[in-house]
Amino acid sequence: MSTGSKKVIVGPIDAQPASLSTGRARRLAGLDVRLIAIGAAGGLLSGLLGVGGGIVMVPLLVLRAGYSQKDAHAVSLGAIIPISIAGVATYGIAGKVHPWEAIALAVGSIGGARIGAGALANIDDRRLKLVFALFLFAVAILMLVRG
Amino acid sequence: MTGVVLYVALALFGVVTGAAAGLLGVGGGTLMVPFLTLAVGLSQHEAEATSLLVVLPTAVVASIVLRRRGVGDLGVALRLGTLGAAGSVVGALAALALPSDVLRYIFGGFLLLVSVRLVRDALVAE
Repeated sequence: MSTGSKKVIVGPIDAQPASLSTGRARRLAGLDVRLIAIGAAGGLLSGLLGVGGGIVMVPLLVLRAGYSQKDAHAVSLGAIIPISIAGVATYGIAGKVHPWEAIALAVGSIGGARIGAGALANIDDRRLKLVFALFLFAVAILMLVRG
Repeated sequence: MTGVVLYVALALFGVVTGAAAGLLGVGGGTLMVPFLTLAVGLSQHEAEATSLLVVLPTAVVASIVLRRRGVGDLGVALRLGTLGAAGSVVGALAALALPSDVLRYIFGGFLLLVSVRLVRDALVAE
């Protein structure tokens, strides 16, 4: 369980972190059941709270699946793609989306994402963990005091 | 805020959100939803729906950059997310029907514990 700080190479399914391939790790659709649980939890909270789901998946990937902080962030970003498609489709049907506001935000965020992802590729894992923890802490406080 | 000023402000806020999202491995909804409700005046549900629409291109662009840099595994990520998408539909439908106060408190408490744990891990490493 203390593999969080280790540098783990996340390769194709067969080359996953040691903690995933040992013992009774069971698989479904080529994925470890722990990853499936993480994906489901991320998706559920994503839809429920209107967040991308990464805020749930990143800690679970690091603390429960033995991913390095950096790889967890990258995997979380990739997983957010199908999750947000499903979320948009659901909300779109309900007629809640404001398309022009979304377009304006997206124009900026696409540029920002290149900067952020480039920084992620370069940052040291320990510093990234601290930055992420600070972010989680701030979000937690906001959630607890808001409304 | 109205008209052009509003859209310029949204785009600028988008840059900050996108950069934070790419670094933090999140979609950015956490930052956008409060902005859309407090500064733009959308309802909670409208803000959540709109932010999800921005999260999508943000995550796509960040994933492309990271794949090029060899960080993570996009194949595993997409499968993970496809499974999660089913959960997301259930969650979104539930959000339209439920007051989410209790959930928010539980979730806030969970994040607080995780942040402490991560700080400890980072300080113990080395």
